[in-house]
Amino acid sequence: MSTRPPLTTAGDYRRPVTLGNPILDLNPITMLLSITFVAVVAVAVDGWVAPVVVAAVFVLLAFLAGKGRTYLVLILKLWLVVGLLLFVLRALLIKGETVWIPLGPIAVTEEGVLDGLRFSTVVMAICGAVTLFFTLVPMRRFTLALERLGVSPRASYVVLASFQAITDLGTTARAVMDAQKARGIETEGNLLVRAKAFFPVLAPVFLSAMSATEERAIALDARAFNAHGPRTSLVLLPPTAAGERVVVVLCALLAAAAITGGVLGWF
Amino acid sequence: MVLASLRDVRFTYAYADRSALDGVTLELASGGLHGVVGLNASGKSTLCALLRGIIPHFHTGQLTGEVEVLGRPLLEWEPADLSRAVGCVFDNPFTQISGIRDTVFEEIALGLENLGTPRDEMIERIERVVEQIGLQAIVAKNPNDLSGGQRQKVAFASIIAMDADVMIIDEPTSQLDPEASEAVFQIIADLKARGKSIVLVEHKTDLLATYADTITVLSEGRVALTGPTRDVLSDPRILEFGVRPPDVTELAWRLADAGKPLGSTPITSAEAQAAVRQRLEKRAS
Amino acid sequence: MIELRDVRFTYPDGSSAVAGVDLSIASGERVAIVGQNGAGKTTTVKLMNALLTPTAGEVLIDGVSTAGRTTAQVARSVGYVFQNPDDQLFSADVRSEIAFLPRYLKWPDDMITERVEQAAALAGITDHLDTNPKDLPSAVRKFVAIAAVLVSGCSHVILDEPTAGLDTRGLDLLTGILDSLERDGVTVVTITHDMRFVTDAFTRVVAMAQGRIVADGELADVFGDDDVLAQARLKRPDPAQLARDLRLGDRVVTIDDVVAAIP
Repeated sequence: MSTRPPLTTAGDYRRPVTLGNPILDLNPITMLLSITFVAVVAVAVDGWVAPVVVAAVFVLLAFLAGKGRTYLVLILKLWLVVGLLLFVLRALLIKGETVWIPLGPIAVTEEGVLDGLRFSTVVMAICGAVTLFFTLVPMRRFTLALERLGVSPRASYVVLASFQAITDLGTTARAVMDAQKARGIETEGNLLVRAKAFFPVLAPVFLSAMSATEERAIALDARAFNAHGPRTSLVLLPPTAAGERVVVVLCALLAAAAITGGVLGWF
Repeated sequence: MVLASLRDVRFTYAYADRSALDGVTLELASGGLHGVVGLNASGKSTLCALLRGIIPHFHTGQLTGEVEVLGRPLLEWEPADLSRAVGCVFDNPFTQISGIRDTVFEEIALGLENLGTPRDEMIERIERVVEQIGLQAIVAKNPNDLSGGQRQKVAFASIIAMDADVMIIDEPTSQLDPEASEAVFQIIADLKARGKSIVLVEHKTDLLATYADTITVLSEGRVALTGPTRDVLSDPRILEFGVRPPDVTELAWRLADAGKPLGSTPITSAEAQAAVRQRLEKRAS
Repeated sequence: MIELRDVRFTYPDGSSAVAGVDLSIASGERVAIVGQNGAGKTTTVKLMNALLTPTAGEVLIDGVSTAGRTTAQVARSVGYVFQNPDDQLFSADVRSEIAFLPRYLKWPDDMITERVEQAAALAGITDHLDTNPKDLPSAVRKFVAIAAVLVSGCSHVILDEPTAGLDTRGLDLLTGILDSLERDGVTVVTITHDMRFVTDAFTRVVAMAQGRIVADGELADVFGDDDVLAQARLKRPDPAQLARDLRLGDRVVTIDDVVAAIP
């Protein structure tokens, strides 16, 4: 081992990488399983109370992980747009006996409202689970954990590169729009003005992203990406503590109980 | 030991109507720094791709003639082994980084991870190369947010860290400022001093004059001139092949044209200084 | 006339790229801006055609401030050729690429044809008018990008690293374009790392370091001054270094200068 101090700016890669929060530092697989099991409860237990409680638990977890604000903003947008829409549609379209407000051919009924509540809260709890996972787990950390379970680096490359490609498309589009402006094409102003500048460049932006793939493949090959031997990893995830396993088992038991209860009609 | 030997090599890219290499015969010695110069589309990048096995494994086309790399015919190499034996960096910095790493440090690690380098050794090697190339200020940055010049340095660092015996480097300084270009050449010279063999495509003949052992001038897919750096760079025919001589060499030719010849044709600034000084002293005495 | 008056620019993340620049470039003048990567060169020229808006200070083009005008409006008089031509080219053939702006501006057809051909001839790409820019080598694409900007007839043009990736043939072509622009009275502002290009094609140089101008003058004012070179982290071109070491004169910079100075 070197006696030199680590490069402080890059962090110390000799130790497991920490994100500075015990929840964020959980193994991504632990996180995936626990969140999934908790989401199962929302689906298995009848009524709208369970999904709402589950959604609230997710918000709480996000705050404990120090990502509360980001998560809350995202999830509130989802509730307000998607959740509300789902609720209204279901509430109006489901027919029932107990009519609250008659609206011509359709009507707001008690059954409709209850069904709408149930449906929208379940969907929102599931969305909440997915959003929570991606808020708490950086993609790279997730693929690293998967690689440790034997998933091939090629698969994780495809996933990571796809995510990066979305960012890159945005960057290229901005650069191309800048070039448009710089040659005198108006890109500021109303929608029509913007569209006139943007549409001609759309196809080329995609094309240029695609044309780089061959060169990238060659560059990756130069980094021994196609080597056959065993690989190592610079970034070390924290070891999975025994406590983490307990959490996963507890969540699994909770989900099992919810499913059994649902089937046997406990609720 | 021979780094590479080509005999009457022709290569035409699939769907191209003209050969990119058109009868190239060339022998590059091991352990040297070999400069390759010439106009755009003269076959420089194709030559690099061939030595690295990208032709015929990635780029398809029609290849004839004999190519041997490190004593073994190109087609007998297992592609993965060749890519390990021969490191390479190409000139477009935007495609030379993986795009999937969060920090420059991790980006440099990618190749070492794939080679199965133990962690402690990996970290030490990265730290060394970071220091060598002067990337300290950006190690924690996301490679996808870097400028072209910075990416070029990171791509270069990533290949250096892998420590292959042979390195093919295509215009490593095209986006760099003069100071950074000089630094890159210093590093290449260090690599050579450590026994590495290097093939370097570069327009900057001033720098090649100081560091390269041999220079090959390509023109329309053929070897126009090849030989020791001094012989090639001081040969006025390089102008016909679109190669700009070192400034001091051009100065010597222009002095000769003006009826003030120097005793010799310098290719480096030190030589030019000596030659001009000699002329001045002779005139004074 | 391009004027920058105590212009500052700070990026949204708080990092300062241009920290107080005063610069005045007369119409028809040719200026090279040099300095290390990160010295603020690109930011400075982007301010000149309103791709960026100064955080403080004022940019005047032919006496009119760029404040409140869109980039596209400013760009009609200040053209900008990007370093990477791929950001700039998107048409299916070179002719429509060059004609893109004229068509957008609804010029008459015969005028478009004439101007496109003129611009193509100037940029040396007449033979490629019917080719898809994507199929051309990057050095040629660079000239397509130049033609696509010059076709507007802008009175000032900015070139970002025009020599990168060019071979001697490309360099000759570029020098020819600069000379032709000079005859037409078009201002040229170039960012470059290529000191040989600077000494060959320019008489006025602006050296930048850390967001400021550290020298602005003739070649000798930059390449003759050790302090300036150290601040801008530039290396003196070999002929100038030779002249200095052999005391051929303080203002001997180019190969021509040296040839003249040696008896």
